[in-house]
Amino acid sequence: MILASFGEDLIRAILQGTPPGTVYALIGLGFVLTYKTSGVFNLAFGAQAYISAAMFFKARQDWEWGIVPALILSVFVLAPAIGLILERLIFRNLRTASAVSKLVIAIGLSVALPALFEIVADYKPVAGRSPTGIVPNGSSVFYDPLGVYPFSRDELAQIAVAVLGMLLLGAIFRFTAAGLAMRAVVESPRMTELAGIPADRISALAWAISSMFAGMAGVLIAPRLPTLISTDFFTLVIVAMAAAALGRLVSLPRALIGGLGLGWFIAIFRTFLPRWSDDYTWLEPFEDNLAPSLPFVVLFGVLVFWPAIRRSIDATDPLSGVDPPPPALASSTRHPLLTMQTRAFGVAFFLLVGWLAFFRADGRWVFLLTQAVILSIIYLSITVITGFAGQISLCQGAFAAIGGFTVFQMADRYDMSVLLAALIGAFIAALVGALLSLPVLRLGGVWLAIATLAFAFFFDAVMVQASWVGGGGTALLSGTEVPRPVLGPIDFGASDRTFLALAIVVFIIVAIGVIQLREGTIGRTLRALRGSEVAAESIGISPARARIIAFAVSAFIAGLGGALLSMQQKNVNYSTNFSPVAALFWLVLVVSLSARTVEGAGQAGFAFALFGPLILEGSLLEWLPFLNEDNLPSFFPISAKWRFVLFGLTAIQFARHPEGMLEFGKRRATHKRNERYYARDAARAAAAELAQ
Amino acid sequence: MNAILESHGITKDFSGIRALNGVDINVGEGERVGLIGPNGAGKTTFFNCLLGILTPDAGTVQFRGNDISNLRVHKRARAGIGRTFQRIELFSDTSVREHLLIAERVHNGSGAFWKDLLGMGRPTAVEIERCDDVLELLGLRELGDEPIEALSLGQGRLVEVGRALMTEPRLLLLDEPSSGLDREETAALAATLREVQAEKGFAILLVEHDVELVSKFTERLYVLDFGSLIAQGPTAETLSDPAVRRAYLGTLEVDSEVGSD
Ligand SMILES: Nc1ncnc2c1ncn2[C@@H]1O[C@H](COP(=O)(O)OP(=O)(O)OP(=O)(O)O)[C@@H](O)[C@H]1O
Ligand SMILES: [Mg+2]
Repeated sequence: MILASFGEDLIRAILQGTPPGTVYALIGLGFVLTYKTSGVFNLAFGAQAYISAAMFFKARQDWEWGIVPALILSVFVLAPAIGLILERLIFRNLRTASAVSKLVIAIGLSVALPALFEIVADYKPVAGRSPTGIVPNGSSVFYDPLGVYPFSRDELAQIAVAVLGMLLLGAIFRFTAAGLAMRAVVESPRMTELAGIPADRISALAWAISSMFAGMAGVLIAPRLPTLISTDFFTLVIVAMAAAALGRLVSLPRALIGGLGLGWFIAIFRTFLPRWSDDYTWLEPFEDNLAPSLPFVVLFGVLVFWPAIRRSIDATDPLSGVDPPPPALASSTRHPLLTMQTRAFGVAFFLLVGWLAFFRADGRWVFLLTQAVILSIIYLSITVITGFAGQISLCQGAFAAIGGFTVFQMADRYDMSVLLAALIGAFIAALVGALLSLPVLRLGGVWLAIATLAFAFFFDAVMVQASWVGGGGTALLSGTEVPRPVLGPIDFGASDRTFLALAIVVFIIVAIGVIQLREGTIGRTLRALRGSEVAAESIGISPARARIIAFAVSAFIAGLGGALLSMQQKNVNYSTNFSPVAALFWLVLVVSLSARTVEGAGQAGFAFALFGPLILEGSLLEWLPFLNEDNLPSFFPISAKWRFVLFGLTAIQFARHPEGMLEFGKRRATHKRNERYYARDAARAAAAELAQ
Repeated sequence: MNAILESHGITKDFSGIRALNGVDINVGEGERVGLIGPNGAGKTTFFNCLLGILTPDAGTVQFRGNDISNLRVHKRARAGIGRTFQRIELFSDTSVREHLLIAERVHNGSGAFWKDLLGMGRPTAVEIERCDDVLELLGLRELGDEPIEALSLGQGRLVEVGRALMTEPRLLLLDEPSSGLDREETAALAATLREVQAEKGFAILLVEHDVELVSKFTERLYVLDFGSLIAQGPTAETLSDPAVRRAYLGTLEVDSEVGSD
């Protein structure tokens, strides 16, 4: 009896998991296809899925198009067009770039594309307007073929379309010349090197098909969501990667099975976990939170605990180990005069800004400046992990959130001094960072980035919900209140300016620490490791130790910054400040400006906080003598989304200038001036010689 | 003579292909030993097994009387094995002196985190002087501040040697130091190595294709072919062994004919 019901439940779970499973398989296939033909870990897949889903939604609901034309536009025209454009304009020129730079560019695109689409198509997600599927009455008509689980029409459509997509791919592989060549390339990366295979055409075709799959998956999955929001679609990429990783990234059939298996696994887990937690009460808190995060857990687990995947990574990454050396920093080759000039300019600039901030600025600007300084602190954590250690970590937001939540919890529960709590939070973040680094460090490169991303999403979906982290229900009602610190006679809550001063002091201390680290043994060690790991090991450097320290330090800094940010806003504001997607944007911003210098972190902080008000809202223009708030050109304020578009798109430059745009510009300017000064020195010396 | 390095039965398969087949060698204190063999014989693989960069499928490595087979790469390096690479491995974005400084600081064990934070992680005058001494010895003194990208291949190889020397190795593994160098450069490199070795007294295990360099430089020779040792003994004797001529010198003569076209 029990057994019979167990079997029935199992079948029901499998049936229930099949519709999403086939969609996961579809997107997993697309992911493997682009990866194997162009070496790109296309994190922008989720963005592409979102765009198609939103286009379909817009065409259906705003323009009141029929299902077929809306589907043709969103999935069969727009989606492949975006894929082809990305391939042609960006990734085709990057075939020899390192996998990591391609990943950074894909991250930039994942930030830029949804914003760009929303601007161009004038699309806004509105709560309550639920997306519909590709069949009429999809969510309300049910079929129950086996008498166990009633499929909705939407679900049947999901299965049918996904299977059709796969059959189509199979047909292309089997019957077209380009498809045959593509299959050859996918199955054996070495084939790309052989003559006679039209690499450009194949990668274009692969991008078109996989983007279409992504778009299709987006449209199919949309009815499962209450509101169409781009961030929800980001998890689709995670699912795709989990499926691809389950297929060990080697073959399309395995990715297909991986996707389907993931769908089943999630459904089975959801069916049975509530039952186990009846018997084992300690499971209960996980019940609600773990289920939505299963793809992240699976991805993380597969990457970390499945040795086979690590081995196949080494074997299949077509460009593993090909990392062009970063060029020297601008400041290492300066003429003394130039050094003096830059210093003088820097000091003058800071005095001016400081004077403005402390004596002229109104409350709003003090708030923004403080935010800029605090973000700069957080960005220093990226300087350490990405700039110095050369690792892309996508969970800096989680580390920062740990700092913020610790302050909230300590102040809320124990009434602890917030500055002390901030330090504790930073230490906890450092501990988490160190622990996390142990399993992920062996992965390295792109997979390390993906594993940290999975962790960020896990933290987002599971940890934040826990009452001892995010505060649970009470925090939802009253917000995660964080007080400002009081230090002896100084109350940093009373005046925003004193808090700004505190933030500046912390920034300076952290910046000095970071510079000491860079110039010290650990910084040298990390530089050596980035240059050549085997050579570094051969002189006695322990890569694990150096990188664990880098991770822990980076997490510490992020935690400290996160704590300060929460104090400033008097609230943790987790989803605006620290969500995984926000952290993606941080990374893009810092690496596209300059990841390896302290100034770079500062500039990124100011860019994040001030770009909106200064440029997009037109404040910079308002300060001109003949303009004011009322007679600004009519296109102000410009949509805040442009910030994402602009910075996301600057990430495209990463492959060409891995040192960052600002650093590149600085280097060029320095070089020119240097030449001039040295030429002048030489001319003077020659003149002096003549005079003798 | 006391053996500083002994390998016993080192065996390594790459997906079914046997790259090394039970290789036993030993190197005495301060001795200069050669390891030669045709392309693909397994020489680099053997070095990597000695250092732990590759894990051999069987066999043990003893260094100064201790079994180091289970130590990590950096631990073996710290135990006193230095190496250079066949395909040159330098730290990009770093000056010549900086290469030696990194090695020096790591060797001193001065990598404590708090020291770095307090600004005590910067190289001291003594350390810089020690680096400059080694640069002097290698004839690189003038190039100390050059970025590594500005060096010729020969100079790059010397920097690798210098970097290894900073760790005060008792045994230096050199993987084809002459590859990519012309005759003169090779001769200069050999002279420098000789001089440095005479001064520091470490042992050398040299992998080389250049027979001239091998015959001048080494006292004893091992010959590897398809992963197995086919001959060993004093250099001159071994080089005239008919089996060695067949396996190795034969291909070399073909090579030099092609080269002289
Ligand atoms: N990582 C690896 N995976 C698979 N096979 C390998 C690997 N490294 C080396 N081999 C193979 O092992 C054999 C020995 O290679 P090794 O590089 O040790 O030769 P070598 O004697 O150093 O040659 P050379 O004179 O060209 O440097 C070769 O057949 C090579 O193809
Ligand atoms: Mg070799």
